[in-house]
Amino acid sequence: MRGILHRMKAVLMRRSWERDVSEELRFHLEMETRKLMQEGLSEAEAHREAKIRLGGEELMLERAREERGTAFWDRTLQDLRFGGRVLLRAPVFTVVAVLTLALGIGGTVALFSVVQGLLLRPLPVEEEDQVVTFWFDYSWRGSEFDFARTRLPAFESVAAYSNIGLTLHTDQESLRIPTTVASAELFDVLGARPLLGQTFRAGDDRPGAERVIILSYAVWQQQYGGDPDIIGKRVLAGGEPTTVLGVMPREFYFPTPNMKAWMPLDLDPASSQYRNNGWLVLVGRVGKDVTEAQLQANLRSLGTELGENWDYPEQWDKSRNPFVTPLRTYLVGDLRPILAVLLGAVGMILVMACVNVAALLLVRSADRIGEMSLRTALGAGRGRLARQVLTESLLLGLLAGGVGVSLAWTSFDVLVASLPLTMGLEEVLSLDWTVLVTGLVLALASGSLIALVPIRRLLRGELAEAGLVRRSQGGVTGRGKLHASLVVSEVLLSVVLASGAALLIRTVDRIRNVEVGLDPVGVLAVDVSLPPGSMSAQERAQYFDVLVERTRSLPGVSVVGLINRLPVRDGGWQGSVRVEDRPELDGALRPNAYWRAVTPDAFEALGVELVEGRGFESTDRGDAPQVAVVNETFARRMWGEESPLGRRIGAGNGNTNGWAEVVGVVRNVAVDDLVGEVPMARYFPWDQGNRGVEYAVMVLKTGLYPTSLTSVVRNLVREVDSRATVGRVETMSSVLDQAMAEPLRLRFFLGLFSILGIVLGTVGVYGIVSFGVQRRRSEMGIRLALGAEPFWLLREVVGGGMIPVLLGVGGGLVVSLLTTTLLAGFLYGVEPTDPVSLGAAGLALLSAGGLATLIPASRAARIHPATALRGE
Amino acid sequence: MRDILRGTLDLLILRVLALEPMHGWGISERIEWMSGEVFTVNQGSLYPALQRLLRKGWVSSRWNRTEENRRARYYEMTPAGRRQLQEEETRWAETSAAVNRVLRLTEEKS
Repeated sequence: MRGILHRMKAVLMRRSWERDVSEELRFHLEMETRKLMQEGLSEAEAHREAKIRLGGEELMLERAREERGTAFWDRTLQDLRFGGRVLLRAPVFTVVAVLTLALGIGGTVALFSVVQGLLLRPLPVEEEDQVVTFWFDYSWRGSEFDFARTRLPAFESVAAYSNIGLTLHTDQESLRIPTTVASAELFDVLGARPLLGQTFRAGDDRPGAERVIILSYAVWQQQYGGDPDIIGKRVLAGGEPTTVLGVMPREFYFPTPNMKAWMPLDLDPASSQYRNNGWLVLVGRVGKDVTEAQLQANLRSLGTELGENWDYPEQWDKSRNPFVTPLRTYLVGDLRPILAVLLGAVGMILVMACVNVAALLLVRSADRIGEMSLRTALGAGRGRLARQVLTESLLLGLLAGGVGVSLAWTSFDVLVASLPLTMGLEEVLSLDWTVLVTGLVLALASGSLIALVPIRRLLRGELAEAGLVRRSQGGVTGRGKLHASLVVSEVLLSVVLASGAALLIRTVDRIRNVEVGLDPVGVLAVDVSLPPGSMSAQERAQYFDVLVERTRSLPGVSVVGLINRLPVRDGGWQGSVRVEDRPELDGALRPNAYWRAVTPDAFEALGVELVEGRGFESTDRGDAPQVAVVNETFARRMWGEESPLGRRIGAGNGNTNGWAEVVGVVRNVAVDDLVGEVPMARYFPWDQGNRGVEYAVMVLKTGLYPTSLTSVVRNLVREVDSRATVGRVETMSSVLDQAMAEPLRLRFFLGLFSILGIVLGTVGVYGIVSFGVQRRRSEMGIRLALGAEPFWLLREVVGGGMIPVLLGVGGGLVVSLLTTTLLAGFLYGVEPTDPVSLGAAGLALLSAGGLATLIPASRAARIHPATALRGE
Repeated sequence: MRDILRGTLDLLILRVLALEPMHGWGISERIEWMSGEVFTVNQGSLYPALQRLLRKGWVSSRWNRTEENRRARYYEMTPAGRRQLQEEETRWAETSAAVNRVLRLTEEKS
């Protein structure tokens, strides 16, 4: 303790301490001189002898400092001050180095925070490893769930859930909130406790149970003002009075953060939904002491039993290959490759930034040979110089870390918004103090990495010698190898980044050219929902009639239609279809097709072209003969070359037994994915089976900017009936953009990174080659003076510079070939080994590298012999 | 004259300071004189050694006037230094006795 205090005091009082010691030494010298003079020496001789006896004052101070125990801190302070001065003296160098590094550090920090938030932070679930989902999501029927849960001894508990949109009416507003409906066991499976009230009770999911709801913290706060007495109150949810059973803690979410409330399923064995609709996800908690083998055996026997009790179409055969997926993998598993790719890319940028700054330092260290050798001559050891270099690099690293972390901090929201995150996952992402730790670690790591190169040189004594025997600098020695390896690594990383970017650019081009099957220009899509409880089917049908009529009369609107699911965005409900003249495709072999209900004008509004026959007419009403329109895939698969017109398929959404005559064929429209083959789809007239529903997407075509109608339409929906709710209002173009978002955004990031990479690589190569030229100035000057052709010098420098560039391009292409398979999932229409992309990347770096060597080379060829010999 | 044995400089400084407070030059003079001019103090190591003793808290220092009214830094022994000196002296006695025994033993044998 005492020692520490002494040291702290000593560090703080360094200046007065040094003054004391100097004065003390002066006194000593004086006394010694006097003594020697008494012994008969002349004053000058005595003074000299005294000095010799005492030794050099610098050295003495240094040793005294060491003994004082503050040497470490003294030196660090000194180095820092000196380093700061050095950096300030070369502001351009400092700014370039700091910004380069800051980009790398900031990017890595920000992406790491995303990775941490999505992949590393625990889910709000107790012992999340034990919680799994079952094979085939959103396909389990209520009856299958009840069957399965009594046959799963390997699980502590099993629950079923699905997501719905629920309209919540408060005094001020009515709004649609994404809600999870689940069987009563859900919260036991998750091990989640409520903040207020309780979670589901056994039997809450059975017919006749009280209608209850559990609110998320956000809804409780925003819609109910955090009412502490909310438990037991009745709210209007889905048009019916519903008792608030509990409120979940702020950090809880399930299955995804965008779900804002939880209601019990209605598992009524008497309902047709219970028997027929596969729409549930099964989630279970594996028992504590259950082994992997026991779990597998249990799942296998369940699969077999399911197969004995149900007939499954081939693509949904639950009796085959049963397995479970950890909850986290199920929720964010598909984000892993994206994050890995981005983190890898930004990590490469960071490494390149380090290499670049190291190269810059090297170039500068050549300028500083004089300073370094002077300091060596004054008695600074190599270790001391190395320390100085390390301090400078660490200072650079820390500065860059500071800038980088603030960059990450200010641009984090932009980054998160540009990531292909869905389902509210962005809500769980935030920056916290760990950013500072990551930033600090990266700053110190890159600082040390940067210092490695100049320190290696120092320890070999090159800098020091160079000062004393400056002229004898040789050509390509070990030093040359070091520089070459820097060039190789820079070029290699640049090529890898650039080829990834090239692949994604080509992917986006391919996707752009995909036929979407509709015309998005001027199309606005409006989600409208009506409360099921307080409006009769009759009223709802009338409501939509009036809404469509009044929307059509808005100025600028040409066509208005209704559709049950918006193409590209909503996907849709697939069901098996009966096809009259293909009886062999019955039972389990029935083909699946998407089901869409549309009003007559919907095709025109969406710009879906008719290929054959007719579309729907206003006369295709409930009392008229049932008709249907199919898409091209449907027509081709079912009837091949023959005309589908006049053939009959199962009517409506398949729950009725009637037949509908196919009257037309329309172009394929992408369902939920822009790429890949469009699946079979059938369309039915709105009035033949969809009249009186609670939800519709109104699509309208306008010659105006579609967004200019947004607020008018919103108001209109409420004006026609105040009980109606508007959900999303989007332009079709933005829907298409979102569908392209993943490759587009990846392309954006990787494009950015690869441009950065190429710039960094070029600057680095340029810096290193110029350094080489600078060191050989005098040699070249002599050769020029002796009559060497400037052209040969040019060739030599370019050649010497290009060898490592070529090696880097070659290595980069090899590494690209090995790593671009990681990108395979994001590519469309382009092979990961696409020679065009790789070739372009290689060529880009080759030319950038060529340029970077040409400039210093031409400077070398223009060296004036006299200047080179005379000058430094 | 010989250089002081490694590690014994601290002990000698403490011994000198046990008599009275003294400045650096005076300490080196005293050591040479007290050792019957057997030892010469390497003046280059004297001041670092004094810093070491200061750090360990065995001596303290303050500025004072010499008899000739010259400003000089005087070192003074602290109670901790006194205890240290006793310990060092005991250890030195034991060590040198042991070394002597060994030397005599070898002489007798040979």
